[in-house]
Amino acid sequence: MRFAYYPGCVAQESGKELDLSTRYVCRALGIELVEFPNFSCCGSGFLDEANGLLNVALNARNLAIAERAGLDLLTICSTCQGMLTFANRRLERPEVKAKVDGALQPLGLAYSGRTKVTHLLRVLANEVGPDRLRSMVKRPLRGLKVAAFYGCHLLRPADELQSESAEEPHEFEDLIEALGATPVLYRGRVLCCGFPILFVKERTANRIAGRQIHDAKAHGADAMATPCPLCHISLDSFQNKAEREVGERLDMPVFHFPQLVGLALGASPEELGLPRHLVSTRSALEKLGSVAVPA
Amino acid sequence: MFAEEKLIPVPFDVYRFDPAQGGEPRYQHYELKLAPHTPVLSGLLKIRDEVDPTLALRYSCRSAICGSCAMLVNSKSRLACRTPVGPEVAKHGRVVIDPMRNQPVLRDLVVDQRGFWSNYRRIEPRLLLDPSRPMPEGRPTQMTPAQVDRFRETPRCIACASCYSACPAVEADPEFPGPMALAKLYRFVVDPRDGAHDERLRKVQLSGLWLCLRCHLCTEACPKDVRPSERIRDLKELAVRSQGATERGSRHAVGFLENIAEAGQLNEMKLVRQTDGLVGTVGQLGQGLRLARKKPELLKKPRTIDGVEEVRKLYEALQKDEEVPL
Repeated sequence: MRFAYYPGCVAQESGKELDLSTRYVCRALGIELVEFPNFSCCGSGFLDEANGLLNVALNARNLAIAERAGLDLLTICSTCQGMLTFANRRLERPEVKAKVDGALQPLGLAYSGRTKVTHLLRVLANEVGPDRLRSMVKRPLRGLKVAAFYGCHLLRPADELQSESAEEPHEFEDLIEALGATPVLYRGRVLCCGFPILFVKERTANRIAGRQIHDAKAHGADAMATPCPLCHISLDSFQNKAEREVGERLDMPVFHFPQLVGLALGASPEELGLPRHLVSTRSALEKLGSVAVPA
Repeated sequence: MFAEEKLIPVPFDVYRFDPAQGGEPRYQHYELKLAPHTPVLSGLLKIRDEVDPTLALRYSCRSAICGSCAMLVNSKSRLACRTPVGPEVAKHGRVVIDPMRNQPVLRDLVVDQRGFWSNYRRIEPRLLLDPSRPMPEGRPTQMTPAQVDRFRETPRCIACASCYSACPAVEADPEFPGPMALAKLYRFVVDPRDGAHDERLRKVQLSGLWLCLRCHLCTEACPKDVRPSERIRDLKELAVRSQGATERGSRHAVGFLENIAEAGQLNEMKLVRQTDGLVGTVGQLGQGLRLARKKPELLKKPRTIDGVEEVRKLYEALQKDEEVPL
């Protein structure tokens, strides 16, 4: 398997641990990541609000770069996945395509619409498959109860993103099970983390994050895991503020999805960048016994 | 064929609560035998008419037109009149019925919709005419197909409140008017006969427009494919185009736009400054430093992508263009 690797902005900067753990997992599973230093930001949903067409064009450029190399695009962020797929859908409309083509042409770029956009979670769920993943696990995450947190733009709008079941997805939970951990089912798993309004009305965003973490905890989760670094910011980096809003100590370790896979494949916490989290993952690692917990 | 369809056992667990009687909400169990294609609403009416006359629920047309019977069927927003029991039983083994969320329960499945409707009224859901542009007298106002096309989805709304029930922003913040009100507002903003375009956009920016989380739960919940989240996106772009970066939400969106033009990718700390201004950023300093201790990249300028000049050329080609409906 070979993909044009689209890490997204956060995984290259403040969420570097996501990039680190993705590379570890892909190496271990034989997924080749081809890098394109000319990929731009996907617009993250914010650019879309300021100028929708420009946002589609920016992503058409990314998609065209991958198409020129004959590769499909691999994302590791629910929001990137959503925005790039949204661009693909909108480029099916002739009037949008004509405008975007006109803007790409002077750059020597053309996009025919062939680039598929896939999230790493989907590659593991559908192409590697839970069974093969299970057979490669070196350190089953036995005893760890993990609450999946999907991130909106991996799921919705379901028809635009062609996601199978937006209301009751199970691919993430199937993978958690394959890693030897126990998936926790709770209402919040398909809801919003609050990130999109973190800079608009912080306390409301914190409250939303706090409710989802509280929900996961109330259902017995030892840790949460997310395939979206923006959800990770909301759930981990701002968990201290979420605690204030819900008036309760949460202490919930939040893994990036590939970190959880990496742990099961035998990586050390340092190789996966776990010490970079704001909420310590120590309590979850201690449950696993066989992992050397960093100081 | 349908007449011969076999009856199947349908276990119902129905939310019951009467605040006047006190006590805790509970689920009441009923066992029915129904044809698989029977709508959930028919099952509930059978319970009310033949088993338990105290069950309270709203319904009217039974044809997915009136929007009265929205409720949660096995935790999902549904119109009870057009949700057959068969697939629910096949998937969940039973039919669990709850009232809609985000609206206080009056009794059983009947919720208090005053909040929903007052948010709707707040957007002034009628044509506001510009006195300097009176409607033509004695003949109908004409619109081009393209103009009508801009709001082809919103008139389908039946005000069932499924979107309001599903919305996490409504749940978390009373300032947010809810998806339906905003989708309806959009309909008037793009109506060429309406004369209050800019004023509507100015007002809605101050009444919660930017609290939409774009989680698309409303679009998923809507039984009529109105796609409120996409209409809210349109409203935001129209607001930015009409008013510029005046509010925190629009400053963040426009800051993002400028931010990407600079390096092709995001400069997280700079974006905070663009949105919050100097004073606001000082307020964020504590959290910023707390994060930077674990994530030192936050204090450094991010890499500029290769070919950033291509991104800038895209901006030059498209930024000044008129809005294109998406």
